[in-house]
Amino acid sequence: MSEARQNLYNRIRIQKDLERFTDGVLARHDNVESAIADIAALEPNAQEFVYRWTELIGESDKELAACFVMRSASAFGALEKDGVQAWIDTAMDAFDNRGLGAGIEVFEKPQDFVERYSGQHLRCGFDEVVSFLQHFVTGLGGRELRIDTGESTYTDTDTLYLPEAISEFGALDDNSSLFKLTATHLWSQTWYGTWRYQVVEQLLRHHSLDFDLPIFNRLEAIRLQACIERDYPGLARQFSAFADNSPHASRWAEWREAAVDLLDPDADATTSLSLIEKFHDLPLPELLPFHGEMFAGKVRQALFARIEREKDALQHALRDMQDQAQGNDGGEGDEPDQEMVDFELMEDGEGGSDMSFQLSMDGETLQMPEHLQELIGSIMQDFGEMPEEHMKPADLGEYADDLLPQSGEGGDGSLDADGKDVFTYREWDCVRNRFREAFCRLKEMDVPPGEESFIEETLDKHRGILKSIKKTFEAVLGESRLLRRQLDGDDIDFDALIDAMIDREMGLEMSDYVYTRYRNVDRNIAVMFMVDMSGSTLGWVNDAERESLVLLCEALEMLKDRYAIYGFSGRTHKRCEVYRIKTFEDNYDLETKQRISGIKPKAYTRMGVAIRHLGHLLNLSRARTKLLITLSDGRPEDYGGYKGRYGIEDTRHALLELKRDGIHPFCITIDNEAQEYLPHMYGAANYAVIDEVEKLPYKVADIYRRLTT
Amino acid sequence: MSIQAIRTEENFVTEEPYYQAVGNEIEVFAAAFQNQLPILLKGPTGCGKTRFIEFMAWYLKRPMITVACHDDLTASDLVGRFLLKGGETVWVDGPVTRAVRSGSICYLDEIVEARKDTSVIIHPLCDDRRLLPVEKLGELLQAPPEFSLAISYNPGYQSVLKDLKQSTRQRFVAIEFDYPDAGSEQTIVEKETDIDAQTAKQLVKFGGMTRNLKGSGLDEGASTRLLVNAAKLINAGITPVVATDTAVAQALTDDLDMLKAVHELSRSVF
Repeated sequence: MSEARQNLYNRIRIQKDLERFTDGVLARHDNVESAIADIAALEPNAQEFVYRWTELIGESDKELAACFVMRSASAFGALEKDGVQAWIDTAMDAFDNRGLGAGIEVFEKPQDFVERYSGQHLRCGFDEVVSFLQHFVTGLGGRELRIDTGESTYTDTDTLYLPEAISEFGALDDNSSLFKLTATHLWSQTWYGTWRYQVVEQLLRHHSLDFDLPIFNRLEAIRLQACIERDYPGLARQFSAFADNSPHASRWAEWREAAVDLLDPDADATTSLSLIEKFHDLPLPELLPFHGEMFAGKVRQALFARIEREKDALQHALRDMQDQAQGNDGGEGDEPDQEMVDFELMEDGEGGSDMSFQLSMDGETLQMPEHLQELIGSIMQDFGEMPEEHMKPADLGEYADDLLPQSGEGGDGSLDADGKDVFTYREWDCVRNRFREAFCRLKEMDVPPGEESFIEETLDKHRGILKSIKKTFEAVLGESRLLRRQLDGDDIDFDALIDAMIDREMGLEMSDYVYTRYRNVDRNIAVMFMVDMSGSTLGWVNDAERESLVLLCEALEMLKDRYAIYGFSGRTHKRCEVYRIKTFEDNYDLETKQRISGIKPKAYTRMGVAIRHLGHLLNLSRARTKLLITLSDGRPEDYGGYKGRYGIEDTRHALLELKRDGIHPFCITIDNEAQEYLPHMYGAANYAVIDEVEKLPYKVADIYRRLTT
Repeated sequence: MSIQAIRTEENFVTEEPYYQAVGNEIEVFAAAFQNQLPILLKGPTGCGKTRFIEFMAWYLKRPMITVACHDDLTASDLVGRFLLKGGETVWVDGPVTRAVRSGSICYLDEIVEARKDTSVIIHPLCDDRRLLPVEKLGELLQAPPEFSLAISYNPGYQSVLKDLKQSTRQRFVAIEFDYPDAGSEQTIVEKETDIDAQTAKQLVKFGGMTRNLKGSGLDEGASTRLLVNAAKLINAGITPVVATDTAVAQALTDDLDMLKAVHELSRSVF
């Protein structure tokens, strides 16, 4: 049979089949033959796809199915299979919601759909790149910057604000590249000193923001480009690939020529300021896609708040170092020891991209903890040098004021003292350098049961994750250990056997313990989870905490580790509260589940007392390894002075007491600023910061596994 | 090809290993050696601890015996055991015993990996007694002045089960190691690989960028060792971005976003 004849038969068969699916409606359309011929020319699996969907659509409406058949081949010409599927879905949605006419319209104009669909699929959304961008910008160095979406693209020097999506170019890769370059450009403003304190002051005082700021923005763009060319040749190439293709390239070149001073390695933002006047009469070049805008007012707000905060933190850190050096730690009553020490800061190594500093006190070089390095780095980014005022250790007087309410008896309300489940604990007072004995009153109470459905929903939502968590935990269980010198077992322990033979040769009694046996590792672990129930966890943090607990319980049940869960909160030292969610004795039963779901945000975060109480409970358990894991969203803080250094020092002291008792503390937090205080409180390796709350449930289980294997 | 076998107690380091001092660690080690004090080296992986010991073995002209600790290491593995030979029993010294007898530097690498009961046998060696009890022989070995014990551990491990016991760590003089500053690290990369200064500088810069990510997605940044590896690949004709991707990025993480970030960081430098 000839090929032509074969094709003819083929077409007739297809037409018959499709007419059957549409009850003959297809035959009433014009040009059916050519449509069928096009379908016959499709790949077999595309043909099958058309068959299947014609039948399915036909079940809803025959006319609609016929319209689909008529345009299906041309749709396959313009779209991949996923695209055709989306086209069908759109048409069916239109049919379901707005009737036959709307459905037919979608099928009859595949071109409209193709345009819209392709547009969307080149679009690069913020959500797709944010995690990568965050890593990238952190890697570039400098102050930790947040990345968020905003109505405009700019930075206030704390956060880089980027668009929701970029669809500037015809290729997805180009669009995601543009995201990266935009973020890099904004980062370079914070890194190369566009927004130094002196610059912002001058800009706001002596320049018109309407006329001069746009010029400043462009001049800085030229200067920053030169900086990047010097330090990051790879990035510079990517930038110029974008810039050179811009229609405004020639005008930018004119500006660059006129502003040649900015290309000098010694040029800084004040150079740009001094050039503004010269450029008043030149026409502005269009901003390039990665440039972003400038909002000096917003920068000023963020900058000033940060300067105050960091100055305070540095002065307190210096004060601590001074105290330590002078041995004030243990002494009481010698507070007005105001013998001033001379701190000096030197840049370490070559400047440029990696800032690192050496701090010396009276000429002696000091060991600087990481968070202090970062703090000083951030201050240097704002000033370009260390202001003298910053290097003066804080006065004690400041604390004393802070802490006044602390010593006052005027706390609002005390625990309804029926005495049951009420405990008193001491608290470390870093100002007086001693404990306040029996200062905190803590009550242990139950969490009112919440809705059970939460558990089901969580298990359903995280089905996939739970499966993988269980799998990794199973692997932990599966880690068996070879036990040597057993009385009986799976194999012979040759070392033991040889020893036994030797004994016999020497005329001694031969040992029977000559076998090896695999046995699962005895996990003698008790773990206490301490959950932050402060008011700040309201909303998604609370949800994430509860979800984490559910997943963790499911996994822990498998490991058979002993575990307990308590929440903590409170208001003032007289009303510290610890909530029983699951004690070591409780089973993971319906009531426990209801209590987990009933965890609700309460008041403040007085951490020290909660740690002391839960540490005490944990100490009662007879495990070989004891672990206290805190889930938290911020630093210790309570009404009446329990904040800043006071709160941190008390918490740190409570943790040191735990360590002395052989308990390992660990903290999992979602506070991005945690680097500043957690290493000091928990020690360098004993905490984890989770950047996305949604990842908390998964991460908590993962961290637990890592901690205990 | 002929392979030379050396008895461990004759393992003298004859050629000066390249080591770039970052502080006063050489003087401290030498002083501890003279005063017969054991030494604990703390620091992240790949920052030069083992190289330092090799250098000190050369500097002090003592043989060096290294034991890589693992969790199945028993006390007999360290001290020694009887073996059967033709119906007779023969005693074979373990590495620690051999080191004591020959007055070598004994280096227990990653000591926390060993079982806790194992590390206890070194206790009497580490205080002023300097004795090694060999129970099966009924002997007590008095360590000669040339014997020195060094152990290493990485305090960055987050496992609570892998921590050094106070009773062990408080017997040692501790020297802390960290990655060298940018200048020294560049010299190290150059000297180790003969790579040109510009590329070495870029590699060190890239290494610094990955260390910025420690704690925000990476457990550890790129170690000096990884940078040296990357430099070797570049020397062999691999392009820098591919070299850093394979020698550094893939070695650091499996997370896709993080891999992409590290890749882009490398692209921005080279």
